[in-house]
Amino acid sequence: MPNDYLLTVISNIGMISLIALSAYLLLISGEISFGQQAYFGISAYAGAIATTLWGWPLWLALLFGSSLAALAAGFVGLLTLRISGLYFSIATLAFAEMVRLSLFKLTYQIEIDGELIGPNGAEGFGEIRWIFDNDVSVLEYTLLIYGILLLVLFFLVLIERSRLGMIFRMLGQDPLLTRVQGLNPVRYKVTAAILAGFIAGLGGTLYAHSFTYIEPQIFNMMLGVHALAYGLIGGLGTVLGPLIGVAIDIGFLESVRVIQGYRMVVFGGLVALMLIFMPRGIFDEKRVYWLKSIARRWFRA
Amino acid sequence: MLAVSNLTVNYGEVQAVDSISIKVKAGELVSITGANGAGKSSMLNAIAGICAVASGKIVFAGEDITGLRAHQIVKKGIVQVPEGRQLFATLTVRENLLAGRYSNSGFLLDKVIPDSLVQRFPALGERLDLLGSSLSGGQAQMLALARGLMNHPEVLLLDEPTLGLAPIAVKEVFDLIAELRDQGLTILVVEQNVRQALAISDYAYVLESGRIVMQGKGGELLNNSRLVESYLGAARAI
Repeated sequence: MPNDYLLTVISNIGMISLIALSAYLLLISGEISFGQQAYFGISAYAGAIATTLWGWPLWLALLFGSSLAALAAGFVGLLTLRISGLYFSIATLAFAEMVRLSLFKLTYQIEIDGELIGPNGAEGFGEIRWIFDNDVSVLEYTLLIYGILLLVLFFLVLIERSRLGMIFRMLGQDPLLTRVQGLNPVRYKVTAAILAGFIAGLGGTLYAHSFTYIEPQIFNMMLGVHALAYGLIGGLGTVLGPLIGVAIDIGFLESVRVIQGYRMVVFGGLVALMLIFMPRGIFDEKRVYWLKSIARRWFRA
Repeated sequence: MLAVSNLTVNYGEVQAVDSISIKVKAGELVSITGANGAGKSSMLNAIAGICAVASGKIVFAGEDITGLRAHQIVKKGIVQVPEGRQLFATLTVRENLLAGRYSNSGFLLDKVIPDSLVQRFPALGERLDLLGSSLSGGQAQMLALARGLMNHPEVLLLDEPTLGLAPIAVKEVFDLIAELRDQGLTILVVEQNVRQALAISDYAYVLESGRIVMQGKGGELLNNSRLVESYLGAARAI
C-alpha cells in the first residue's frame, strides 16, 4: 500500500496536470496564457463554497466551479479577441492577478456547528471537509482525481482527432491562413478559452478538497507559469506532453532529495534549455509524427 | 461575376491601391501584373477580405461584398491561395488538403480526399501521409492550389503562384491554371511572371504605383511595345 506522502505527490501530479492541460489547449491554438491559475482559483473557491457552505455533493460542486471558470475564461477570451502574442499573455496575467487580489477581499462566512466557515480574505478558506465528512480515503480521492484526469484526456484525444482539434492546430500555426480557409478565428479562439477554463476549473475544485485549505496566494503567477512550462517541456505534439512535464517537475524534481531546495533553480534552467533547444518540447509535432510513422510501420509488419 | 470599382486600399498614410476598377467574367482567367510594390497583392487581399477597403465597392454575383470578413467571403465562393505557398507545416498533406473544407463539415474528421483531386495532383496523392514541410517548392504550391480547390470555389484568387519556383515547376503551375480555366473555373491571378501570365490570360491589367496603367486581352498586351519595353525586355535580359 503506498504511503500518504507518495499518494499526495501522485494526486498533486493529477490535479496540476489538469491546469497544465488547460494551458496546453491554448498553446496549440497559438495563445500563451499566463493566467490559467485564475480559473483554477475561481473553481477552487466556488467548488469549496458549494460543498462546505451549501452542502452540495462533490460532483455538482465540480460542475459548478468548472462552469464558473469556463464562463470567466470565455469572458476573458471575448475581451482579448483583438490581441495576440505578448499582449494576450500580459492581458491574461493581469486578469489572473485581478482575480487573486479580489480573493483577498472575498469574505463569505456562514456559521456551521458554532464556527464561522468560508473564505475570509487573506486568512483563506479552511475546513473544506468534504473528504472527511464522506469518509473518503486519500487513495480513493487519488483514484477519483485520476478518473477525472482520464476522462479529460479521453475528451482531449477526441477533440484532437476532430475537425475542432485540427482547427485549433491550424490557428496555432497560422491564423491568417486559417481565415482564408473560411474559418472564423473568433469562434474557435473563444471555444478554446472556454474548454481550457473548464479543464483548469476541474483541477481547482479537486485541489481545494484535497488540501482542505486554500488561500489567494496559492493561485499566484508561479502556478500559471508552471502550467505553461509543463506543456513546453513535455511537448505540444501530443496531449500527453503536459503530463510528462508535470511528472518531470513534481514527480522527479520534487521527489529527488539531492536537489530539494534547488528545485526551482533546476526547473527554471530546464525550461530555459528546452526553449533554446526544443522550443515546442520533447514530444513536439514532428517527433510525434515520426513516432506514429514508426508505430504504423511496426504494426503493418 | 466579380466587379471591383474605384477600390482604394491604404496602409496608414501610404496608398497601396488607388481607385482601381476591374471586372472578371464567369469562366475567365484574368491576371494582374506589375512590378513589386505596385499594389497587386493588396488589391487581391482587399477582395479576399484580408485587408480593409478605404473606399470603393466589390460586387460578386450581384451582391455587394465590400467589408465582409475573410471567412465570410470564402463562404460566398471566393477562395484565395495566398502568396508564398503557405502550408500548415506540421500537418500532413492530407490534413492540409482537408483544411480547405473544414468550414463546411461537422465535428468528426473526414479523412477522405476525393479521387478526382488525387488524379489531378498525383504527386500529392503519393504523399498524403507525409508532413507538409517535407514537400518541394513545386509540390507545396500544388498543395496550396489543391487546398483552394477543396472548397469548391466559384472564383479562385491566386497570389504569385509561381514565386520562387524552378522553371519546370513554373510551367506545371501555369499549365494547371490554364486547365482549371478551361474546365470553367473563374480565376483572378496576381503574377510577376508577366510573359507566361499574359500568354494564358483572357484579360489582364498592369499596375504601377497602385494604379492601372494598361489593360487588354492577354495576347494583345504581349505585343504591346510599352509593356514589352517595361517588363518583358527586362525579363529577357534576366
